[in-house]
Amino acid sequence: MNGYIPILVLGAIAFAFAVFSVAISGLTGPKRYNRARLDSYECGIEPTPQPVGGGRFPVKYFITAMLFIVFDIEIIFLFPYAVAFDSLGLFGMVEMMLFILAIFVVYAYVWRRGGLEWD
Amino acid sequence: MNTEHYLTLSALLFTIGATGVLVRRNAIVVFMSVELMLNATNLAFVSFSRAHGQLDGQVAAFFVMVVAAAEVVVGLAIIVAIFRSRRSASVDDASLLKY
Amino acid sequence: MILLAEFESPKVEYATISPLLIVVGAAILGVLVEAFVPRAWRYPVQVGVAALGLLIALADTVRVGLALDTLDAGLLARGSLAVENSMVVDGPTVFLWGTLLVMSLISVLLFAERRLEGGLTSFAGQAAALPGTDAEREASTRGIEHTEVFPLLLFAVTGMLLFPASNDLLLMFVALEVLSLPLYLLCGLARRRRLLSQEAAMKYFLLGAFSSAFFLYGVALIYGFAGSFELADIDAAVSASSGANAYLLGGIGLMAVGLLFKVGAAPFHAWTPDVYQGAPTAVTAFMAACTKIAAFGALMRVFYVAFGGASWDWRPLMWVVAILTMVVGSVIAITQTDVKRMLAYSSIAHAGFVLVGFAGVYAGTGDVVGVTSVSSVLFYLAAYGFSTIGAFAIITLVRDAGGETTALSRWAGLGREAPVLAGTFAFFLLAFAGIPLTSGFIGKWAVFAAAWAGGAWPLVVVAVVMSAVAAFFYVRVIVAMFFSDPVDIKPAVAVPSILTTGVITVTALATVALGVVPGPVLDLAQQAGAFVR
Repeated sequence: MNGYIPILVLGAIAFAFAVFSVAISGLTGPKRYNRARLDSYECGIEPTPQPVGGGRFPVKYFITAMLFIVFDIEIIFLFPYAVAFDSLGLFGMVEMMLFILAIFVVYAYVWRRGGLEWD
Repeated sequence: MNTEHYLTLSALLFTIGATGVLVRRNAIVVFMSVELMLNATNLAFVSFSRAHGQLDGQVAAFFVMVVAAAEVVVGLAIIVAIFRSRRSASVDDASLLKY
Repeated sequence: MILLAEFESPKVEYATISPLLIVVGAAILGVLVEAFVPRAWRYPVQVGVAALGLLIALADTVRVGLALDTLDAGLLARGSLAVENSMVVDGPTVFLWGTLLVMSLISVLLFAERRLEGGLTSFAGQAAALPGTDAEREASTRGIEHTEVFPLLLFAVTGMLLFPASNDLLLMFVALEVLSLPLYLLCGLARRRRLLSQEAAMKYFLLGAFSSAFFLYGVALIYGFAGSFELADIDAAVSASSGANAYLLGGIGLMAVGLLFKVGAAPFHAWTPDVYQGAPTAVTAFMAACTKIAAFGALMRVFYVAFGGASWDWRPLMWVVAILTMVVGSVIAITQTDVKRMLAYSSIAHAGFVLVGFAGVYAGTGDVVGVTSVSSVLFYLAAYGFSTIGAFAIITLVRDAGGETTALSRWAGLGREAPVLAGTFAFFLLAFAGIPLTSGFIGKWAVFAAAWAGGAWPLVVVAVVMSAVAAFFYVRVIVAMFFSDPVDIKPAVAVPSILTTGVITVTALATVALGVVPGPVLDLAQQAGAFVR
């Protein structure tokens, strides 16, 4: 049971921090209500309207989703490496760099060929 | 719970996936069934890994997940291309090549 | 249980596996070229990168082959395990690498042909543009083309090199996918008849993914049986087990489904005619030669090395599959009216003939090393690879306004129109039929001899009968070309650039050479010896 105490403490701190942040921003933040504040994304991105007739989305969403999958899945190799990186030493470091380099090559391809442009 | 239970579940999922591939008509659903088969295999890998007391099977599950993701990207690209040119993703409509 | 403290840096024998690394390096370089080189320069640079990468890898393979250690002089096993036992570089591996690299080099030339489509490659100008729209026509007139096909080919070659060289079932699965995924995409990229091409890609993809799921579940069951992915450990577990084990038998069956799908054996052949017909012909040539070579290499390695101890369990299965494949391929080919589709069925029949050699399981006897199952299959694959690439290269040349014309009726009278071309095609067909003085004859003789020595004489009898049936439809095409009149419009033969001409010349010469003086290559296949475990 002793092993779980740090986890409980961490959980308690995280919970307290969340409650504290919400409370303190409500108490000290400026209160100005306008249209932008009531948008879905306060940072200024307009939510894309639902397609006419419902259901189908433009194909550009699909490209974004594909790119997301490809770049998201690389974490699956980084994660086990993070667990064992000290015992793998320089060899693991070099191999991981090569792996990430290969990912960057693909990134460069996507970027240069306009895969990251929305319109 | 011993390994047998997990293996039975994995075999069931695999069979459901294989049946889905054979009976469904929409290419996307067929493809989802294939993914179900791959994930059933992952379950088998992890349970065997546990039964043998090794990590090899879990490593295999990682690799299968990566391969499945790559397959999703390639497969969806092909299916979307077909859908855009035919307005249909039914595997029955794709019948220009036969005999 | 592996604990964290036990992790050690793996040892990688870079010098032994370097041909593989060179090809994958060239593929990644190709992606970079695609990103940063201006459009006008991409085509020459990509062709250069692909051809040069494959050439260097081929030279390197020769170096690796000469440096193999001899392990067992009796069975002529030479080579070594590499990368923590997950790969094995031995005689058969090096022979397959060499064959694959030569075939892919020839395929690159075929991919690069631009004369036939008026200065553009035979691949879709812009795969994202819908067929028959203004966007597609605009891409075509502006001369846009997908030079990505060259890196895709290199990635597929990487998977093919890795597939028969893997000593670890997990690595083998990854290699299977690395070779398949680029091929799925390449199939859908034809410039003409794009709906057919896309349909071929979808069928190949869905069925390919289905079959690799079977392969993977087989791997899982074998892992459950043996507790390891390594072929040698599985072999030890097979030898130690007594009686039938459900995991082992299920695993063997499911893995066989995945591998037999890739070689195009019946009853897992249904994709072959559709995909071969719909795919761009250059891709079909590449697939027909290289996928078969890689998949048969992997099939032999898994079944001989890992499941050799259980060979009495899987041999009946392979006999049935071999007979079914030969019968289905030869008989259905007779009814075909499309040349490309007929060649697809012919490739199914050839898979059956190779399976005859494989199912014979003849490892040679002690000191007298004659034709073994391994060496005969290796030779057959090399011989068939050359003729099939040559035959498909000729198909790209017979054209009308709509692109290639593959209907057999349109080929009538081709012998008078273009005697040299039709003669060369007839020669390839005779090689497929196994007429003496062609490579096909020596290949057939080798696999039949190995199967006979292994005691599979019923298979050999069926195979000889089916060769006769197969000869019928090859001769039918020859008769149509030389002895019948054109129906309505004369077939037109396009004048290719030096690339396709070179491909046809080289493959025809190889087919003659392997038929007249098969000695050197046959020796090489025998020197490859047995698999290292």
